[in-house]
Amino acid sequence: MNIPNIANIPTIYLQIFVLINVFFIGVLTSIAVRHARAHFKNKKNPEPEKHQVESAHQNLNLSPAMKDKLLQASQAHFQIVLNRAAGELQRDLKATTIQLDKQLNRIGTQMITVEMKRYQTSLEELRKKTEAGIGGAQQEVADHQAEIQTKLDERRTELEAQLTEEIEAKKEQLSRQVDTKLSDAVASFLVETMGHEVDLGAQTSYITKMLDEHKDEIIKGVKGEN
Amino acid sequence: MKIKLPDSIISRQDLASAILELQDYSKWLSHESIKKQLGSKKGGDKPEISATVAEIIRSTEADSSKKITDIVNALQSIQTTSRSINFTLAAPAPLSLKAVLVKWCRANISPDILVSFDFNSNILGGVVVRYGSRIFDWSFRRQILADKVKFSEVLNNV
Repeated sequence: MNIPNIANIPTIYLQIFVLINVFFIGVLTSIAVRHARAHFKNKKNPEPEKHQVESAHQNLNLSPAMKDKLLQASQAHFQIVLNRAAGELQRDLKATTIQLDKQLNRIGTQMITVEMKRYQTSLEELRKKTEAGIGGAQQEVADHQAEIQTKLDERRTELEAQLTEEIEAKKEQLSRQVDTKLSDAVASFLVETMGHEVDLGAQTSYITKMLDEHKDEIIKGVKGEN
Repeated sequence: MKIKLPDSIISRQDLASAILELQDYSKWLSHESIKKQLGSKKGGDKPEISATVAEIIRSTEADSSKKITDIVNALQSIQTTSRSINFTLAAPAPLSLKAVLVKWCRANISPDILVSFDFNSNILGGVVVRYGSRIFDWSFRRQILADKVKFSEVLNNV
């Protein structure tokens, strides 16, 4: 329901309304004063009240019908004014309610907006912190993985080198063993073939030659032994 | 008394044997000398002496027990102080080779040196000379094993 705001009512109507109000307030004030005086007079002298009313009617010099008519008109008018005032008041209340509703809506919206902004800001900060934490953890994990990989590579290289060295050593050892076995086999063959029939006489010149060639070495060894 | 070892005394065992023979001979000479002084006509049997000992006695002109004892002392001194060298051959060394090697050692190393001989057929040939803790290996086996590359090449070419 679209109720016009008080501020939107033209000024002339307001002025008329105010004047009518002033008029009726004056009437009501005079009636109230008269009733108040009559009331206080009845307290001081209750019996002559009827006489006073009658005397007052007589003093106005109005007919009772006229008086009743005026009274009814006044009452009707007063009822209209009261109804109008009540209607105005109702409209004002409705307008005020609408305004308050709008204000409340606006304030609520502002509060919700502010709170939403704060909430979003908090969420964003939390997200950033979480991302930073996750990023740091990921970086740390990556660093740790790189370190482990480096150590693994070093250890693998070391083991490969060691394995290669051991294989070479084993190969060399096996080669030596093969050579030794072959040499032993040939030597055994020669021993079996020659038996004890080694011609040392033929070797005499070889032996003396070897002794002569290594004479200094033998003498040096003999002297060193002493 | 200085005495030159004959070439026939080669090893320490030869020297010990010669000393024993000389001691017996000295004892016999002493007994014969006493019997002669006492006028006894019956003499004891002369102990058998080897050619080596006979050569020593002849070369030193020892005709009395005292001289023989001096020779024994000299030989014991040599036995105590002399050095010994060992030759290992592929087979038992014949006397001719022993004589050559002993002559060489006494000419080049020391005139009192004693020589011993062993044989080990595993060395195939050549000689292994051992003096104290020092060993000079000129055996064929060592030469074969020492030159494995050449040995392998020879085997591959067979």
